[in-house]
Amino acid sequence: MNMKKIIVTAAVLSGALLYAGGFRVSLQGVKQLAMAHTSAHAEDASVAFFNPAGISFIPSKLSVAAGGFGINSEVTYQNLATRETSSTDNPLGTPIYAAIAYKVTDNFSVGFSFATPFGSTVKWSENWGGSEIVQDIELKAFFFQPMVSVKLAPWVSLGGSFIYATGAVDWNRSVTQLGGNLNLKDDEASGKGFGFGFYFRPNEKLDVSVAYRSPVDMKAENGTATFDVSDAVFSSLGLDANGQDGFKATLPLSDEYTLGATYKVTPKWQVSADFNYHGWSAYYKLKLDFDHAVVGNQADDPTVSVVPKNFKNTRTFRVGTQYMFTDSFAGRLGYYYDESPYEEGDFSPETPSLDANVITAGIGYKWKGLGIDLSGAYNFQKSRTFDNKFYNFNGQVKAKAYYFGLGLSYNAF
Amino acid sequence: MKKILISAFALALFGSTISCDTEFETDINDVAVTSGEADFSRYVSLGNSLTSGYRDNALYSDGQNESYPSMIAAQMQLAGGGAFTQPMMPNNVGGFVGLPGFPGKLTLQVVNGSLTPVASDPAAALDNISSGGPYQNLGVPGAKSFHLLAPGYGNAANLSAGTANPYFVRFASSPDTSVIADAMAQNPTFFSLWIGNNDVLGYATSGGDGSNPITDETLFAQAYNGLVATLTSNGAKGVVANLPNVTSIPFFTTVPYNPVPLDDASVTALNQQVFGPINQILTAYGQGDRLQLLGTSNNPLLLKDETLADMSAQITNALAAAGVPAQQAGLMGAVFGQARHATSEDLIPLTTRADIGAAPTSPYAVAPFNKYGVTFPLEDKHVLTVTEKNEVLAATVKFNSIIKAAADSKGLAFVDANAKMTELFSSSGIQWDGVKYTATFVTGGAFSLDGVHLTGRGYAIVANEFIKAINKTYKSTLPLVNPNQYSGVMFP
Repeated sequence: MNMKKIIVTAAVLSGALLYAGGFRVSLQGVKQLAMAHTSAHAEDASVAFFNPAGISFIPSKLSVAAGGFGINSEVTYQNLATRETSSTDNPLGTPIYAAIAYKVTDNFSVGFSFATPFGSTVKWSENWGGSEIVQDIELKAFFFQPMVSVKLAPWVSLGGSFIYATGAVDWNRSVTQLGGNLNLKDDEASGKGFGFGFYFRPNEKLDVSVAYRSPVDMKAENGTATFDVSDAVFSSLGLDANGQDGFKATLPLSDEYTLGATYKVTPKWQVSADFNYHGWSAYYKLKLDFDHAVVGNQADDPTVSVVPKNFKNTRTFRVGTQYMFTDSFAGRLGYYYDESPYEEGDFSPETPSLDANVITAGIGYKWKGLGIDLSGAYNFQKSRTFDNKFYNFNGQVKAKAYYFGLGLSYNAF
Repeated sequence: MKKILISAFALALFGSTISCDTEFETDINDVAVTSGEADFSRYVSLGNSLTSGYRDNALYSDGQNESYPSMIAAQMQLAGGGAFTQPMMPNNVGGFVGLPGFPGKLTLQVVNGSLTPVASDPAAALDNISSGGPYQNLGVPGAKSFHLLAPGYGNAANLSAGTANPYFVRFASSPDTSVIADAMAQNPTFFSLWIGNNDVLGYATSGGDGSNPITDETLFAQAYNGLVATLTSNGAKGVVANLPNVTSIPFFTTVPYNPVPLDDASVTALNQQVFGPINQILTAYGQGDRLQLLGTSNNPLLLKDETLADMSAQITNALAAAGVPAQQAGLMGAVFGQARHATSEDLIPLTTRADIGAAPTSPYAVAPFNKYGVTFPLEDKHVLTVTEKNEVLAATVKFNSIIKAAADSKGLAFVDANAKMTELFSSSGIQWDGVKYTATFVTGGAFSLDGVHLTGRGYAIVANEFIKAINKTYKSTLPLVNPNQYSGVMFP
């Protein structure tokens, strides 16, 4: 299977939706999600996305892991001044992941991770209050990460990965003044980045994971803007005979620092905790640079549109636990708190984001090298009042979301 | 370690259960719309074209359905408001067949490659729908303050004399009634009154040529206070609005004062034979600032300013003395006696655009003096000169103080429409949910194709100002409307 097919397949299978923390979708391990999506779990190849150094501590020589999630979410908007109300009709989001890790020697491991760590799929109604900003949007990013890890000592490893990311954007919004709509589309955005980390196991009871994943600037170089408006205005807007124009844009995907630990309280019972720091401040504006269309808002260049985003860095706090009821059957619980990256004055309905408390749970069953895990989570999002000054768009939003996942792992030998 | 971790975990779970404010603090479905101290059960609206829903230089059904009083009435109906019937036009084009000066609506069409508002023929003869009344929207296009008090303003027999208005003739309850009488006959509990715009606008749009004078201040005060006294006489509450500065509407700001391009040959010829010599003569008489030499672009319009001293004789004599044939010298004196070039202070009405460069009907209009605004001065009606503009502005200020005083004396809700329109006239405009409205002609979205009246979206912005004023004064909770949900300028 060549790269393109993989991407296409992934694009069909996948679709992510965002609930909190910008458009980071923290669903890269089913077992991990059950324990609040904590990172210090080196039992199989699913650790690869969380920390490349973790693959050195997988107990088998070859390990594979894969899984998928379903996301059901709904965001509701209300405007107390006009009594308008509207809810999203989001399709089921289905982020997926797959990973493989192989120990070439006892101290040298290689691995590969595929994941969909960023995305946003939001479908508002066509004429809702914020339609000038977004009617519906689909943002996707696919991360392909080859990696290596070296054991520096029996208790510590260092790993690094290269990130190749590909992505797509498909964004519809109203152009109220012209009585029509605008579609912004690019299927060929791409970006590069890297990750590295240390994984420690100072004793048999404690795992510590320290990882960094770099920002990835997703560059859309060949976007197409299609205006569905009267053709009488095409030429004055600088559009071609089809009402189209090209555009360029860059969407920053935040970097992420992770500090995590798992402690085996008893041989059967372990607890985990994680702290994530997300560099969302990189997304301080969204600039759309049109080739010819004079639809921007910059005095010195009317083909450039700049929208302030003013995202701020965010933190996520996670705690989780696992109890082995038998040698092969595990029960898991977790809780995490995830911050929204923007204040009420910068609310972005194309990436609606609320502070969220998430309760997670799951079970796992192991049989020889094969593991099967189920998990679910409910996202209690804090309703918020917003007043976006740039758009003079204000109101309130609330949201609910739940996720469920099925993961498989196989530690071959 | 063990204890710490367990405690942390327990604390976190506990924290999550108490901090889950997932629901709205106030859900709109749980909030009732209330009328406060007002009674909206019988609401009537009085005013002029703005109140009727007039736009695109006509009154037509789509526009009426987006009149600001109909928007307000729909919100009132959430808080005990009664039916609100409008005197609907029989079609969606407007105008009256057989009545000069009442064309159908303007529509935007591509003419010679550019978008242009094009008038349509009137769709039907003047109808009469008085049997379908009473009507709650009593807005009459063209009405001035005192017209609302005038008996017979709706009498078809008075149309030829010009003392009746066909829009009121259509729905007046009887030939001899007045607008105010038809309003009071309904024993209204609430009224809106936005009148006075035409008391200054008519003068402005006619270029201050005298055909449509500004209403005398005393007459305006008498009429306005009379209207308010009558409307409140049965204890009704209400809302009144002041007058926007009409000189900032697109009708006066779209055509620049200096739109004239010329080719090189014309520039040379006109400067050598006309503007150079006349400028020299005027300069000799201390009037050198009237005219300027021409260039190839951005030449100011040539206009007649009756406030200037008439220099016809001086020009004719000087030209004759310089050897210009007597007939030619006499003609140039007649044409340029009170002529001057426009400045940025003069306002050029939208309707003048078609006349710029056209041939005047004057007997003096022989080549090269046969191009309006270029070589032949525009007439009084073509330009609102700076003097006339200042008259309009001064009257607006006076009328607005009368309106405010009347509102204050009766404790009525007051809409500062002037302030809201000033916001719209600014370059940043008025933004609503990401859509920016400005006073730019066609693309600004707030003004209709006549450059005077608003679009549905513009009227919605106005409706919101009325609603806010009503809520503030009477402690009601009428919801605002979303301007983006109404219609704007329609593109072909």
